[in-house]
Amino acid sequence: MSQEHRPRRRGGAIGRISARVYVGLVLFFLFAPLVIVVVVSFNSTPNMNLHGGFSLRWYRQIAGDPLVVAAFGRTALAAICTALISAALGLSGALGAVRLAKGRWRTAVFTIPLVPLAFPALLFGVGLATFYHSMGIGFSIWAVIAGHVILALPFVFLVMGAALERFRFSLLEAARDLGAGTLTIFRTVTLPLLRPALLGAMFLSMAISVDEFVIAFFTAGSQQTLPLVLYGRINLGVNPGLNAIGSVLLVITMALAFLAARTSVLELP
Amino acid sequence: MTLTTGVLGRPAEDTLPPLRHRAKARREHASTALLLAPPAVYFVLLFVVPLVVLLVYSFYTYSDFNFTAKLTLENYTQALTSPALRDFYFRTLKIAFAVSIIVVAVSYAFAHILMYVLPQAKRVLYFLVLVSLFGGYLVRIYAWRSMLGRDGVVNSFLISTHIISSPLGSLLNSNFAIVIALLNFLIPLGVLPIFSAMQNISPRLLEAAEDLGASRIRIVRTIVLPLTTRGIRAAFAFCFIATMAEWVTPQLLGGPLNQFVGNQILYEFGETLNWPLGAAIALTLIATVIVILGILFGLLRLVTRS
Repeated sequence: MSQEHRPRRRGGAIGRISARVYVGLVLFFLFAPLVIVVVVSFNSTPNMNLHGGFSLRWYRQIAGDPLVVAAFGRTALAAICTALISAALGLSGALGAVRLAKGRWRTAVFTIPLVPLAFPALLFGVGLATFYHSMGIGFSIWAVIAGHVILALPFVFLVMGAALERFRFSLLEAARDLGAGTLTIFRTVTLPLLRPALLGAMFLSMAISVDEFVIAFFTAGSQQTLPLVLYGRINLGVNPGLNAIGSVLLVITMALAFLAARTSVLELP
Repeated sequence: MTLTTGVLGRPAEDTLPPLRHRAKARREHASTALLLAPPAVYFVLLFVVPLVVLLVYSFYTYSDFNFTAKLTLENYTQALTSPALRDFYFRTLKIAFAVSIIVVAVSYAFAHILMYVLPQAKRVLYFLVLVSLFGGYLVRIYAWRSMLGRDGVVNSFLISTHIISSPLGSLLNSNFAIVIALLNFLIPLGVLPIFSAMQNISPRLLEAAEDLGASRIRIVRTIVLPLTTRGIRAAFAFCFIATMAEWVTPQLLGGPLNQFVGNQILYEFGETLNWPLGAAIALTLIATVIVILGILFGLLRLVTRS
């Protein structure tokens, strides 16, 4: 970005200070609830205030809860399967899409996959549920995964599309001129060069799947994921183990989003 | 479908004899189609078909906790005329407008500061917003539920600072709680499109305006704002759609008196098992959202043109 060209007038000192205060307040508002859940999860008393001492009591409690452990396993399974399936489909789609010439087709191919991004999860959720019902497919974690792939696919497609824009296709030519076959080229040139973007897209897919609640709510049946257990117990009333479950979910999604950013997938546009 | 230089195959070679050229182009077409097919088939099968099935179900006949494939318009008459549902619509619309407008205003100021006032902190702040976008939809709602409760941190803070003397019970189970939680997870969604629209404005344009003596306010009004309307529209639409179809937030924070249209859809699917009516409500909801956004953006275009 050439915006460092020349220092621009940036208002007075008062302007800059109030800008800092504003940014600080917004960030505080965005992160305060998350910080509080994590802090309180280490609280020894079951209250939401911070009067008790430090304790791992609630983590011990949820680790000994077979329902939570099973849900954790399913959440992990869903995240990994969603990442693998959406990466394969998204990579294939992006490789095909960049081959299209500029025009109506290319625009359509690059726009249509983004529809689920803005589409309300509630509608997609009930749609999936009626679809499974009409096909006689039972609700299960696999039904959830099939839906999560639709949610993750736009991100994979976007990330891989952006990576392919920067891709130096002359390398493939060189490999071919040296006598390499299509598969060899894909395995030894294309894939290694796209690996950072692909990994980043997979981390992002996993974050989306772990955090996802609405689709899972409508299609998991009795095979609950971690967010579903959290929801069920919120409805049951106060249970201090909830903060620990919430913190586990948060730390995992945030770590995955952080990893995705580190692999330079979420670079500034 | 035409092809650019074959992207993963080899570039189109003009030196090839015409016949071989054509055969090669056909091969390239075939492999492009082969690459696009798996995600396309998956997308149609698990996104388009389910919505078509939902549409079909919305015409089914319901009686006694069961429904049959006898087609009827009854569900739509019910979805469009039920007075209870009308109340839900008004409440949902009111909150959706309020939330979307607040999100756009807060996000615009935030993005503006990131771009033009504190550019040295741009990367870090952008990163924080992005990470918070992916962190904890349900956990946030749960956090507000405990924070706004009778002995939650908000009440204990207000008491310890002597602003109030006894805990406020009305913080939870209110539209206030719903709006706060929605703002909490929608602001990052508002910042991103506005920020990327600002990012696309050429800095040279702003420098030129500055060199010609335009004031900061004038620059924002005549250059930045017109060039970021796309971002504003996207931010508004994202928030509006998300809020209109929300049900978890009102369920957990609104109390029984502040439910959304989405909660009625959930009720039909989960309690009465009247899936056809639930489907009809869901589809009229999305149609309503599309019509409102269409009218709104149409008006916006008229206003900005004149």
